[in-house]
Amino acid sequence: MPHPRHHAVVRITHWVNVIALTIMVGSGLRIFNAYPAFARRGDSFCCYPFEHRSIPADLTFGGWLGGARHWHFAMMWVLALNGLAYVAFIWLHGEWRDLVPRRGDARDAWEMVKFYLFARPDHPRQGKHNVLQRTAYFAMPILGALAVVTGLAVWKPVQLGWLTDLMGGYVWARYWHFLVMLALVAAVLGHVFMVLTVDPYSLRSMITGGWSERFSPESRNARPFYHLWPGRERDDGPA
Amino acid sequence: MMDRRDFLRASGLAFAAAALDACNSQGPRAAQPILRWAERRNQGVETFLFRHRSVDVAPARAPLAGRAFPMYYISSTVPVWDPAVRGAWTLEVSGAVRRPLRLSLDDLAKMPSVTQRVDHFCVEGWTAVAEWRGVRVSELARLAGLAPEAGYVDFQSFDDGYHESWDLASAMHPQTLIAYAMDGRWLGPAHGAPARVHSPVKLGYKNTKYLTKVVFLPQPNGGYWSDEGYEWFGGV
Repeated sequence: MPHPRHHAVVRITHWVNVIALTIMVGSGLRIFNAYPAFARRGDSFCCYPFEHRSIPADLTFGGWLGGARHWHFAMMWVLALNGLAYVAFIWLHGEWRDLVPRRGDARDAWEMVKFYLFARPDHPRQGKHNVLQRTAYFAMPILGALAVVTGLAVWKPVQLGWLTDLMGGYVWARYWHFLVMLALVAAVLGHVFMVLTVDPYSLRSMITGGWSERFSPESRNARPFYHLWPGRERDDGPA
Repeated sequence: MMDRRDFLRASGLAFAAAALDACNSQGPRAAQPILRWAERRNQGVETFLFRHRSVDVAPARAPLAGRAFPMYYISSTVPVWDPAVRGAWTLEVSGAVRRPLRLSLDDLAKMPSVTQRVDHFCVEGWTAVAEWRGVRVSELARLAGLAPEAGYVDFQSFDDGYHESWDLASAMHPQTLIAYAMDGRWLGPAHGAPARVHSPVKLGYKNTKYLTKVVFLPQPNGGYWSDEGYEWFGGV
């Protein structure tokens, strides 16, 4: 295969990230369930409507609080080092060019939204990724870094007190950590939905690197479940 | 509502039940040695980060937890020191020291004290603010004269054998106190009377209540929750 769709380093870090992020979210929710609220004792918290309501146990990992903490504090290194390896690689190898924001992204994003809403019949031209993908993929390492930094602030509110203070104190650091997790989960769900409904062949690209113009054209008339839309002819060719 | 003790006990039972399976909700059993290895590495990181000048200051806008400060003990009822049965309460400072001490509550109260309004960080994730008054553990160590081999401290209680051992550096932190007053009143039985360890640099479970002995040791001596599988270091 002369020219894989994704470099091996990108593919490996992607799947390591899938494992690390899943365990981090599951064990984090188990830790959260030990006190599923943000308010200090004897205080109230403004901004979380579900205080003292547990996360369903099936969504958690680690079995018990101590076990979940061990998983969380071990896997955090995998998540952080894997993220660093990925960012260092795309920086040195050039893949960052496919992901950084460009002039005109807002206009292009609007065109993509119009396309998805059937306000525009044809798919806008794109490079390796469309603008919505690029924005999402660019945001992921940033969200990951925020997860790590807010997590450090929750882990060490005294020894890294300056960091915790920067986030408004322990209670808020814990809240930001939770919100970053929600954003990551939302991004992952959107990503998986789009992969499965728009371009399932891209899964192969992320596993073997293989890619064919015929199955996964870079710019084609594809909306979620496009192949199931009645009376719509499939357009395999690049626009 | 479930209190901390019920919760931890239930967690412990769940842990024991789950441990019967090879691969269970805690993840693959083969991962356990790796997790223990990671815990030791993290302990190194925590020790590396630890500074005596890193201190906790509870935010001014955070109210005192007061009556909302959770009670917690492992005995079936609130542990109360009964002088009629056990004689007058004393605090023993012993082990790797040159001059072992035996202090009454009066002795403690007459020593140089520190009053600090700090957070209490529970392993469960909650925090509670209280104003603690007490004697620095470093002051006790100074009076007793540490032997060179003293590298750890075991804080022991009359609460059904509850104890937790600490690294010496954390015990010598200026905010690590043998506290005998909380929010301007003598410590009550609900919060560890007559005296307890309190420090914002360790998670709540490391802060032994109902204190009877401060034993300096050359080796760590585990602890009640540490032996159940929570991190021994438990630094904040």
